[in-house]
Amino acid sequence: MSRRLSWGLGLLLIAGLVLGAFFVLPFRSWLPGGTVADVPNRLVVNGTALNRLFPAPEAGEKLVFTQEKRGFSQARLKQGDAVRALLSISDVTTSPASRAKFSSSGSALAGWPLVEQGDQSSALLVADRFQVKVIGQGAGLSLDERHELLGAFNLQALAALNPASTSKALPQAQAPSLAAQSPAVRPSLAAPSPAAQPSLAAPSPAARPNANRLAALQAARAAAHRETAVLTPAA
Amino acid sequence: MSTTVLERLERLPHRNLTVLALRGISTLVPGGWTNITSAEEMIHGVLGSTDPELTRQVRDRADELSRARHEGYARALSLYDAVNRSQKAAGGLRVLANVAGALPLVKRLTLFTPANETLQAADLSLKVAAEMLAFTQVNGLPGDSFADFGASLNEYTSEARVRMAALVCFDGFLPLGDQALQRLDGLLGRVASHELRQLPAYVGMAPLIPGRGDQAHLSFLRRSVDQWVGWADGFASQLGLTGQRTVRALETTIGPWHGGFEQLAIFLDAFTDTYAHTGVQAVARRLVERAAAEI
Repeated sequence: MSRRLSWGLGLLLIAGLVLGAFFVLPFRSWLPGGTVADVPNRLVVNGTALNRLFPAPEAGEKLVFTQEKRGFSQARLKQGDAVRALLSISDVTTSPASRAKFSSSGSALAGWPLVEQGDQSSALLVADRFQVKVIGQGAGLSLDERHELLGAFNLQALAALNPASTSKALPQAQAPSLAAQSPAVRPSLAAPSPAAQPSLAAPSPAARPNANRLAALQAARAAAHRETAVLTPAA
Repeated sequence: MSTTVLERLERLPHRNLTVLALRGISTLVPGGWTNITSAEEMIHGVLGSTDPELTRQVRDRADELSRARHEGYARALSLYDAVNRSQKAAGGLRVLANVAGALPLVKRLTLFTPANETLQAADLSLKVAAEMLAFTQVNGLPGDSFADFGASLNEYTSEARVRMAALVCFDGFLPLGDQALQRLDGLLGRVASHELRQLPAYVGMAPLIPGRGDQAHLSFLRRSVDQWVGWADGFASQLGLTGQRTVRALETTIGPWHGGFEQLAIFLDAFTDTYAHTGVQAVARRLVERAAAEI
């Protein structure tokens, strides 16, 4: 190889690396995919469905929605300019640990297990799937005020919220992830409606061959990736 | 992504030119600004509790969320970084041109540097567009109606008042004069597509801006700026922001300044990163609020 050619190739390589470092690396985060805890998006309830279940603000108060993502919706309860509380509903499919904390819960509200976290936050697990939480901000809220706010959510509708696409489209893929995570946590008091229990009663995964499950999971991931390519959230 | 949002927050400087400039501009904004660079402090503020176990849980969840590309927190930061790099590159070029202008042999270099007002206007509009794109990446499209979305956007901008004040003053009033907001649309109308391509941030952002081709992007920029100007105008007149007051506010922290407004703008562009600094803090706050709600 002639000397000039090798110099040229070397320079080209360096230029390519420099350009790549400048333009490609910072935008790697824009590639599609990469969901929370690697749970396919298809299995998580869209935040749009949760918005209308928030409590209606009382006179002099205002509810401002601040975040809406897959499996999560959050709003601020404001009085004038002061933020009184952060209200949120989240789908615990992506965080088994937050579901587990309810198994040791001793108290209940409207039939669902209730947990206090620190001085300012109260959480409720509805239908073994949705965590409803109130976090006092600024001057803070008393325990009773927080519980009253939790009760003001439309818990019945939330419990009845059955992620239709989940159970219909991918029953095989859903079974392993949910079955693995669900401890026997059921509301100790009477459940508000029979439709409340989400589709946890899916067929036992042990009966199915492993390869089949793996293929289903991969299909679910591929579907989720395709979905993320479109930035607008699907209803 | 290797670094998470909270790690970025902890790496922010405690005291440098950027922090001083922000502290200066915050004297004009009621409520002020505190330079939070500790993840724990932010978590304690949101949770209203200092329980170490809860803090650890929130931190773990926040790291998990910011590593998930689909959630957009890291994407918002990459937008801020792109704009910041472009600002520094353009600022550095202009500082060089100012110095070179005084040297006889290299005087001609000044002819090649983008120092005119239209480019400055395009730069400001790119920042505004980046702000909107980052907002949707971090928060999604909150609420069910357009009114909900508007309220949410208002909430965000009033939370980030110092950030917006810095944007209006450092990139609007200082380089373009006190009528900057009124002139912005006219200036943007004069931007040619080849001029737009001179901005390094545009090259990075182009695939993310809706529409195909430079002309479509330009009209998107003009539309998003149009909406923002309405808000920014009210904001500036409410706080009485002007170029003169900006300089005075900056002098309280940085020291006396004897040059012109435009030189100050160039200096700030080249040596501070106020935009990325406040951007990391804003994204981190929303991330912590979500993590606290999900643990």
